[in-house]
Amino acid sequence: MKAYYHSVETFGTVDGRGIRYVLFLSGCTLGCIFCHNPDTWASGDKTITVEEVLKDFTKYRSFYTSSGGGITVSGGEPLLQAEFVAELFKACREQGIHTTLDTSGYCSEQNAALVLPYVDEVLFCLKAATAESYKSLTLADNTKILANLNHFAASTELNIRYVIIPDINNSEEDMIKLAELIKSLPKQVPVDLLPYHSLGREKWDKLGMPYQLSDVPDAELKHINEAKKVLINQGINVLEHHV
Amino acid sequence: MKAWNGFKAGKWQENIDVRDFIQNNYHPYTNNGDFLTTATAKTEAVWDRCRKLLIEENAKGVLDIDTEVVCTITSHKPGYIEQQNEVIFGLQTDAPLRRGVIVNGGVRMAEQACEEYGYKLNPQISDIYHNHCTTHNSAVFNVYTDEMRQARKLGVITGLPDAYGRGRIIGDYRRVALYGINRLVEEKHIDLKALAAQPMCESVLRTREELAKQIIALRDMAVMAKSYGFDITRPAETAHEAVQWLYFGYLAGIKEQNGAAMSLGRVSTFLDIYIERDLAAGAIDETAAQELIDQMVIKLRLARHLRTPEYNELFAGDPLWVTEAIGGMGLDGRTLVTKTSFRMLHTLYNLGPAPEPNLTILWSADLPENFKQFCAQVSIDTSAIQYENDDIMRPVYGDDYAIACCVSAMQVGKQMQFFGARANLAKALLMAINGGRDENTGEQVAPALLIPHGDLDYDTVRLNYSKVIAWLAELYVNTMNLIHFMHDKYAYEASQLALHDSKIERLMAFGIAGLSVAADSLSAIRYGKVRAIRNEQGIATGFEVSGEYPCFGNNDERVDSIAHELTEEFIRELRKHQTYRDAVHTLSVLTITSNVMYGKKTGATPDGRPAGEAFAPGANPMHGRDRRGALAAISSITSLCYDNCRDGISYTFSIVPGALGKTRDIRIRNLAAVLDGYAANNGHHININVFDRSILEDAMAHPEEYPQLTIRVSGYAVNFVKLSPNHQREVIKRTFYQVV
Repeated sequence: MKAYYHSVETFGTVDGRGIRYVLFLSGCTLGCIFCHNPDTWASGDKTITVEEVLKDFTKYRSFYTSSGGGITVSGGEPLLQAEFVAELFKACREQGIHTTLDTSGYCSEQNAALVLPYVDEVLFCLKAATAESYKSLTLADNTKILANLNHFAASTELNIRYVIIPDINNSEEDMIKLAELIKSLPKQVPVDLLPYHSLGREKWDKLGMPYQLSDVPDAELKHINEAKKVLINQGINVLEHHV
Repeated sequence: MKAWNGFKAGKWQENIDVRDFIQNNYHPYTNNGDFLTTATAKTEAVWDRCRKLLIEENAKGVLDIDTEVVCTITSHKPGYIEQQNEVIFGLQTDAPLRRGVIVNGGVRMAEQACEEYGYKLNPQISDIYHNHCTTHNSAVFNVYTDEMRQARKLGVITGLPDAYGRGRIIGDYRRVALYGINRLVEEKHIDLKALAAQPMCESVLRTREELAKQIIALRDMAVMAKSYGFDITRPAETAHEAVQWLYFGYLAGIKEQNGAAMSLGRVSTFLDIYIERDLAAGAIDETAAQELIDQMVIKLRLARHLRTPEYNELFAGDPLWVTEAIGGMGLDGRTLVTKTSFRMLHTLYNLGPAPEPNLTILWSADLPENFKQFCAQVSIDTSAIQYENDDIMRPVYGDDYAIACCVSAMQVGKQMQFFGARANLAKALLMAINGGRDENTGEQVAPALLIPHGDLDYDTVRLNYSKVIAWLAELYVNTMNLIHFMHDKYAYEASQLALHDSKIERLMAFGIAGLSVAADSLSAIRYGKVRAIRNEQGIATGFEVSGEYPCFGNNDERVDSIAHELTEEFIRELRKHQTYRDAVHTLSVLTITSNVMYGKKTGATPDGRPAGEAFAPGANPMHGRDRRGALAAISSITSLCYDNCRDGISYTFSIVPGALGKTRDIRIRNLAAVLDGYAANNGHHININVFDRSILEDAMAHPEEYPQLTIRVSGYAVNFVKLSPNHQREVIKRTFYQVV
């Protein structure tokens, strides 16, 4: 089975535990205005098979094993190619390779269900805490996303990722809404707060797409700490980051 | 004998055998670094004074030069930094950072260096060394062939030790502490006498003369030590004396020789035995133990040689490569890590980061987990240490080898090396394309070859390249034979070789630069399309490159195999030619900072690299061409075979902290895992830099704020602010692995 992909990172250390092989699949329809990889939206013409991924992975396996790492499939939105991801993860499970899925959850529930049995950990990138915010920051309605989040949270290890964009989605109210959303899930899950940065800006320019956040500064440590404080007060577990 | 009280007996008492002493007496340590202590007030005071002097030195280039006396083991009266607070004594001249002139290697270099810094060498010294005796430098140039001069001038073979000391010889300084000078002299006399019955042929006479020089040097060492008030004719009786005796042995070496690289060896675990004995007897406590190591390291940080700006262009940042090999495993499976391995690394905290001594971890999969984590932590905090794979070196060199310079392994006191800088493989490739001519001047250098026309055809270019390599290898061996013959004759390292067995094995260390440029160029010709743009002489001045082709650094077999094949071919060709004193041929893929200079001398290459652009350092992929992440790059490096490159394969790995993981603990674990994986895949050497590129940019703009910013460049560490702007830019340009 083949998938459209963007690139491979052999030394991934921030998308799941340990050192990981990160496969960035291409194709995404969410259209986040702060996306730092807009070059992964189109499917492009590069393809890769499950066998090729595993063969390449094996070359570096000693590094992944000794660090307690594994494989991460990211994107783009990997669940748009769920059959591929399911087959890959199934093969990984057979070989004892730890699997992580980095998703926005923006896909059909059927697609999510295909992958669910074979994934060890999900990094669920929540773009906003409310339906309104979703509308202003992405092209999507968040109904499907929330349904998928609930399914994943019920049955697998999951972290929520949330990008802190100064003055856009980091107000105290936003954080309280986020906390409420988390509390509504079938189980308590930790949050990983990621600082927004404008490094993707150049890619938008290259693709000839207007960048809407030109005036928004990069998030600083204080923004993260403020958001963290609110969440912790709400009883939410926030993951640690060092500068 | 008091000195050996409490030590376990062994054959080390009958023969000079430091390894046997260590194996019988050391205590492996598998716990963590919680026992370590901070610097004492005395250490703080001495280092504080040094810090001020170092800032002054950095501003002026050199702090001071003694232009009046030729530096020898006994030339200078004792020098002190702050005598009342010093614990370990001895300076190269009579004042800290005051550089001595050493002229056996060549008087011109000493004169030029003096002039460059606004001094003038005593005219009497100039007169004697120009007119009344032969230096290594003048002897070599008297005998060089025209072809050797040409290859040297055009930059096909560069950096040869023909104007300065060759270095890379590691005296077994531990012998001074364990046996004392008298015993060592006695042993040398026995060896000298054994030769009396031999027919007095040239080789026997040479050996007898060398042994006689060694005996004189040993006696000089004792005289020098006595001037500081110590009697090193007898063995050391305490930890304090062991450190002091050992350091005197090293000091004699750097007083006598301005060798390019002057390693310390592998002393930590040896010293640990004395420290443990004193700790057990209650004679010292942990603070005092750390103080001994801190104070020795201060002295090592002040070691300097007088160099010309021309030399600095090759090896930037005033390096001496005081390399100390730490850790590793014993042949019996016990780790050689001791508490003093930790103490040595801990100096980077007590005194702050610094490039010297060049702390080198001998990494093994079997090292204690606590030590692995501690090393990774030190790398993340200081970027000042390097790693070499004990698991591939131990089977070759045993468990008492050390590292000369950056990556050159040798058994301490039993092997020495003839250092040979490096040949420019990228330039050699251009000769294959240009009919054996130099691309910059059009001069015929290599034998004439047919010039390929039209699009470059791989088979034709590759065949030509083999012819150039065969020619180059022969020239290179002959040049090295000539240089080292003269060095032995006119600039013999008597004190360092006195601390070797009388019968030693010699290695001849050849090197290559521009490996990734050559491999990518051949890959472009083979898998892409390359058209040479030729001038009226038929010399290719540029290349039109089209089509996709694999680059070294992406773990792509198609190009990695080319790099592997080149190293294999080059060492095979070298081995066809006999070496001086039957030295064993070895090869390194190491540039230090000379990748900048080599690049400058090399025209545009078929990989699209413009004329004059720096090569990647050591075995690194060219900047920005490794696109599949750090592990893919690492795998390309580890596809090079250590058996072809026994003098070392150097890789410099730079990464921003965030790309190692999200928290400090995770970063430490991940880095240790990288090192384990690198070793398991038979990687040889790896430099680790952990910081943001923006820090380097800021340091370039505000050097005064970063006096101790230390970075690893191919094979050694350097104060970033001491590099020339050219070198600084090159370092900043390198690939820093970032978070995607």
